[in-house]
Amino acid sequence: MIHLVPLLIYAVALLLWIRLLLKGADVQDPAVPAGITGLGVVVHAIALGSFWTRFGELPLVGPGAALSSLAFVGGLAMVATLPLKDVGRVAIALLPVVMVMQGVALILGIRPSDTALDFQGAGFVLHVSFAFLGYQGLALAFAAGLLYLIQHHELKEKRLGRFFHFIPPLATLDRLGRVGVWGGFGALTVALILGWAWTVEHRGSLEIYDPKVLWAVTSWFVFLGILAARGGGGRNDYRGAVASVVGFGVVIGTYLILRVTVGGAGLFL
Amino acid sequence: MSLAVIGVSHHTAPVEIRERMAFAPSEASQALMTLRQEAGVQEAVLLSTCNRTEVYLFPAERIEVVQAWEAMLEVKAGRIERRIQDYLFEQRGDGVVRHLFQVSSGLDSLVTGEAEIQGQVREAYERAVGMPVDPPLAGPVLNRLFQMALSVGGQVRSETPIGEGAASAASVAVKLARKIFGSLKGKRVLIVGAGQTGELIVQALHREGAEGITVVNRTYERAAHLARQVHGQALEMDRLAQGLSGVDIVLSSTAAPHPVLTREIFRRAFPNGLRRPLLVIDIAIPRDVDPVLGDESGVFLYNVDDLRKIVDEQVRLREGAIPEADRIIRAQHEEFRTWYASLEVVPVIRTMRDRADEFRTSELERLFRGMDHLSDRDRARLEEFSHRLMNKLLHDPTVRLRKGIRGGGGSRLVEAARFLYGMEDHEHPDPGSGKARTKDDRDHDPAWGGSKEKRGA
Repeated sequence: MIHLVPLLIYAVALLLWIRLLLKGADVQDPAVPAGITGLGVVVHAIALGSFWTRFGELPLVGPGAALSSLAFVGGLAMVATLPLKDVGRVAIALLPVVMVMQGVALILGIRPSDTALDFQGAGFVLHVSFAFLGYQGLALAFAAGLLYLIQHHELKEKRLGRFFHFIPPLATLDRLGRVGVWGGFGALTVALILGWAWTVEHRGSLEIYDPKVLWAVTSWFVFLGILAARGGGGRNDYRGAVASVVGFGVVIGTYLILRVTVGGAGLFL
Repeated sequence: MSLAVIGVSHHTAPVEIRERMAFAPSEASQALMTLRQEAGVQEAVLLSTCNRTEVYLFPAERIEVVQAWEAMLEVKAGRIERRIQDYLFEQRGDGVVRHLFQVSSGLDSLVTGEAEIQGQVREAYERAVGMPVDPPLAGPVLNRLFQMALSVGGQVRSETPIGEGAASAASVAVKLARKIFGSLKGKRVLIVGAGQTGELIVQALHREGAEGITVVNRTYERAAHLARQVHGQALEMDRLAQGLSGVDIVLSSTAAPHPVLTREIFRRAFPNGLRRPLLVIDIAIPRDVDPVLGDESGVFLYNVDDLRKIVDEQVRLREGAIPEADRIIRAQHEEFRTWYASLEVVPVIRTMRDRADEFRTSELERLFRGMDHLSDRDRARLEEFSHRLMNKLLHDPTVRLRKGIRGGGGSRLVEAARFLYGMEDHEHPDPGSGKARTKDDRDHDPAWGGSKEKRGA
């Protein structure tokens, strides 16, 4: 039940952001939706903390618990943007991602992993934490990219409507996307190295067809693709936004395909 | 309500008249001083902007004050074709409160919802507060009125979209640039042609931090002249491609009969395509910029029709917020009215008591005249009894009157009290000055059914 509370608060925060959007407001103070978003993340942290104290393990293993932690990292990314002028409005695109993760986590059940007692130690915790940071970096780049494309469209079509007023400037979104991609890429790279080291140490060798490994490596290449799109000549800001949105879709799609098609993915997120 | 506002505004006078009657800050201070020292005004605030010059007066009955103000405007106007009164408007009583609340909210502005007026109202109020006179020109009534007006203006802007969007070509250009580049600090601007609207837009961009302004014009001297004004550099027209490369914003306003910024020049300026967004604002008629450039990736091209459409949309958006803004104004207006009535009730209660005391004293005297046998002690007891009786009779009406005013009964209750105690045919106590008003005065007060709008009409 406690894990439902942050989801409900996120839902309220999202409604408040949408209300601000519908007002067509760019000068109105987003303090209330930002505050509620922050409150959701705090409550989410309390919920995950209670999981830890109750079951004696970090909520990093098992689909429900891991997804909830992943959603929490996404919440942290949002909170980091909230104090920055205009940037916090990216929450309107990031909150649904976080909510879907938390919602699916609740459906799957946020419970301890009885069978995975060897998932212990600082190396494993760091590996998972960095992986989550990597994925949330991508989610942040996706949110910034999506808003960039909408704002770009509004400007090209000369429609100075609600989206135009609400969404931050293109340059701000471009910078945020760049931070998300570079931060996410760095974190995922560290996570892959730590994961490889942990697996070799505990399992003797790395199983390349393990769905987690497949997903992580695919995601890493997606990051590379986005970075390539952001480099080079021409409009790299626009290309970067498109690549971030497409890349996020590819990562989510890959995850779903792997969960459905590859056996033994029970512990995989 | 003994308030008045008298002046000129964009509703009553064309710009050539308004600009003559505008008061610089030092002139406004001097005018206020004259109104106090020569005409004896009790409270006054002078608001002067490019769209209005008006003075708020309390109390509003002294004809000398009104005449002095009109004389000042006459002097400012100089020689004009029509009588000065033809351009003046006048509001009295309750209407003044509503007028000022609308002014501070931007509802009475030429461009609905414009933000500058709030600051101008604040300046006018602070000027009156800061005048070295005693008692202060922003006395209890105007002080309260202007503080509430500023609060109403803030509330309307924060709770409604009345101030949202951009409502002029220059503000649209700034808005567009900010939505593309975020901060305009350090952004480079190219101006093609040196028209007046273009100049306004460039100045607006410059204020936002845009730098590195390059002016290209058919006549180099004219380009150099404008460049000097905005601390930029001038180029000849044949070096347009050179000026174009490396800029973030292009503003074109030549009188050329054909496009000056063509795809060919664009290709020469950006041989490898654009690496970053480029905002192009074409305010020339016929258009200066080949429309196909709008299809280029990264080019955000806006022509004069686009800007006009955006301005119209923003104005519509703002006007849509008027009913909500009006609701806020009405609520605050009612609050002021209640406050004012609570001021009015004090002299009414005082008069009620004075009158009752008069009756008490005269009745006692009459009684004592036929009762010489009474001892001093008995007289004192009767006197005490009459006091107690009077107080008891007045206690409930007094308490209920005060309570009713606080509950929003306002002037109606005060009027009822005046009627019940027979004060309406005599004199009308003035809450601010303690002076009495005559019935004739009330005929000019909308709160009493009298009203004036445009003068000399």
